[in-house]
Amino acid sequence: MRRVTTPLVLAALVLGACKGNEKTQVAQLGAKETGQTGECGTAMEQVYDMDDVGPKYAATNIPTPLPPAGVSPPGPLPWKNVQVLNDISVAEFNRTMVAFSTWVAGTGNCAYCHNVANFSSDTLNDGTPIYTKLVARRMIQMTRHINGQYAAHVKNTGVTCYTCHRGKPLPNGLWFYESKDDYLRHYLDRDGGRVISATEAPSNANRSSVKQTEWQYALMISMSQSLNVNCTYCHNTRSFASWETSPPARVQAYHGIFMLRDVNQNYLAPLRPVYPAVRLGPMGDAPKAQCLTCHNNAYKPLYGAQMTKDYPAVWGRSEWNGVPFPSFNATPAVAATPTDSTVASAPVPAARAVGTPTAVAPKAPAVVPPVRGATR
Amino acid sequence: MLEYQNLFTRVQVRHAPDPGLPIPTPQYRVGKGGFGLLGYLAGKIGDAQIGPIYLGWFGTLSLVFGFAAFEIIGLNMWRSVGWDTVEFIRRLPWLALEPPSPEYGLRIPPLDQGGWYLLAGFCLTVSILLWWVRTYRRARALGLGTHLAWAFASAIFLYLSFFFQPVLVGSWSEMVPFGIFPHLDWTSAFSIRYGNLYYNPFHALSIAFLYGSVLLFAMHGATILAVSRLGGEREIEQITDRGTASERAALFWRWTMGWNATMESIHRWAWWFAVLTTLTGGIGILLTGTVVDNWYMWAVKHDVAPRYPAANIITPDQREFLRGRYQGASPDSFPDYQVPATVVDSMLVQPDSAAAPADSAAIAAPTDTVAALRGKIGDSVVTVRIPGGTK
Repeated sequence: MRRVTTPLVLAALVLGACKGNEKTQVAQLGAKETGQTGECGTAMEQVYDMDDVGPKYAATNIPTPLPPAGVSPPGPLPWKNVQVLNDISVAEFNRTMVAFSTWVAGTGNCAYCHNVANFSSDTLNDGTPIYTKLVARRMIQMTRHINGQYAAHVKNTGVTCYTCHRGKPLPNGLWFYESKDDYLRHYLDRDGGRVISATEAPSNANRSSVKQTEWQYALMISMSQSLNVNCTYCHNTRSFASWETSPPARVQAYHGIFMLRDVNQNYLAPLRPVYPAVRLGPMGDAPKAQCLTCHNNAYKPLYGAQMTKDYPAVWGRSEWNGVPFPSFNATPAVAATPTDSTVASAPVPAARAVGTPTAVAPKAPAVVPPVRGATR
Repeated sequence: MLEYQNLFTRVQVRHAPDPGLPIPTPQYRVGKGGFGLLGYLAGKIGDAQIGPIYLGWFGTLSLVFGFAAFEIIGLNMWRSVGWDTVEFIRRLPWLALEPPSPEYGLRIPPLDQGGWYLLAGFCLTVSILLWWVRTYRRARALGLGTHLAWAFASAIFLYLSFFFQPVLVGSWSEMVPFGIFPHLDWTSAFSIRYGNLYYNPFHALSIAFLYGSVLLFAMHGATILAVSRLGGEREIEQITDRGTASERAALFWRWTMGWNATMESIHRWAWWFAVLTTLTGGIGILLTGTVVDNWYMWAVKHDVAPRYPAANIITPDQREFLRGRYQGASPDSFPDYQVPATVVDSMLVQPDSAAAPADSAAIAAPTDTVAALRGKIGDSVVTVRIPGGTK
């Protein structure tokens, strides 16, 4: 029998890394830190790729806080037309303004928001309204609203202008209306997101179709990408719908959706007439926020850096987690105008009244991700 | 014939192409048959005559309808990128012809709202059914059994399940989009919508038969190649006249696996595994949304899936709140928003000079919208409309 030699076919296994697109994550085989986050046998675990998280964490720039300010001298405040920051001391006010100029304008330039010939004016010398100042005033109200009303989401870390702005006038992840079925509308004017039935048998209560599921899926993927986490950060994927088997992070994320809906409905979308046309979307709507706007691809914005502890003006209360703010006056010296009449009238979702479900500690210790701590 | 004993063969069968049996309508036979480059490459594995092909009326009509479906899908995809050829090629894996939106239910939508989808689906279905008739009739014409037609029918049953399930639950929007990644996304969404399809026992059976088919295919192919040096590739002869190839193959499997199929029964195994893959899959689809709406809950209730201790302790009130509302159709229009009067008030400054300097124009609020709001300043809030949102 003649022996036939078979040619060997060698396939070259190429482990390629895509480059050329900044958004593409280059696959790297590096150190991982893993922790169990659920019951044994459910494959619930959180993996942190230290080669990915480490450099991003190190590259996160946190502005150095300015030296703390003291109390005001007695007497009325020395300026006019202060509508939102009239409960902090004069020195604190100036310090905060300097911080804003770097957090938002990025240039340390007062003229980004102010008529430098007349700082109290809301208009330029020719009478044209300065939209940046009007927006900034509303954003200060919004920041305090978030810190005061959404502890279920922002906890005791809170947010500052820098959380979203990162030294840029336009934060990342701003979005506009594009179509009627835009999944980001869940962050504004679509409150029904459920597609999975609460009952085993079909009923007319849930008429959601696969297509609506895909819209919800798109929303979830946008959250996942915004936080740079996978599905199991918030869900036990054996049942996406079950709250009992989901990690506690899902509850916090859910409050984040409420927060965004409130922020978009009551603060961002209504600013439309203030903006010049160049800032509006193709359908003429104002820029709005989504998860990415604050999170910037981190599971915690700025990896949990606690900036509000240095800035009573944005924290909006006289103490931060038990540490008093001497420069914060609970009763403003001069209330020229109502501080923020809109906060009271803003619809408050019933969510916060119900509270956060109790988290049961997982049996195995969870991974402690890097957190920008209070020791910074 | 001893040359066939390896995975690849150097022997290229070259002979006058075999035209096959004489047929009563020879004009239906297309081409004379040959080998060519494709035949050469296929010949590395075995005899590879290409053609002639039999078309006939059913084959021709099937191709016509199939081409129509292909064109409708392709042109709609091309239209979706504004007839841009480069974008069409670049984004092809992500392009789709989508089924109608949920608000249409089972009504016929306009062509560009899913009508083209239904038309393409109709043409594709007709094409597939005609092709089935062809497989049946050609088998009969050659005096064969119709095993192939019935196996194909099982696959068509699964295909049609993706039509009947949406009809049963009352919405075209359940149907599978035409597109490479879009139809894969659909599988994810379908599973999520119905509470994780992995807990659907018929889905599980379908997967078991699918993987089983693959395994059987590999086992059978390997066995026959391994005993071909003993004449084992002459399977039909070995069925009726069992030789040493068949006996050694059987002995191998008894030694390694504990039992063996025969030269004949292995083909029944394979046929049934393949047929049951799509048969059980189709049953699983038809039960979804009609009998069971949440397969996870079904599985836990019937102890198919284990119950794990809760990671969150949730009161009934909290559960009710956290559940939220089911998703309905998107709001048709875009909402209006209330602007606090304090914000508007700040903007209502009468300009005392005619024109703003050029450099300040960029940061100035548009005075026309401010002027439009001026009449309403008596209110505590002012309503803002989204200009593009009015329908």
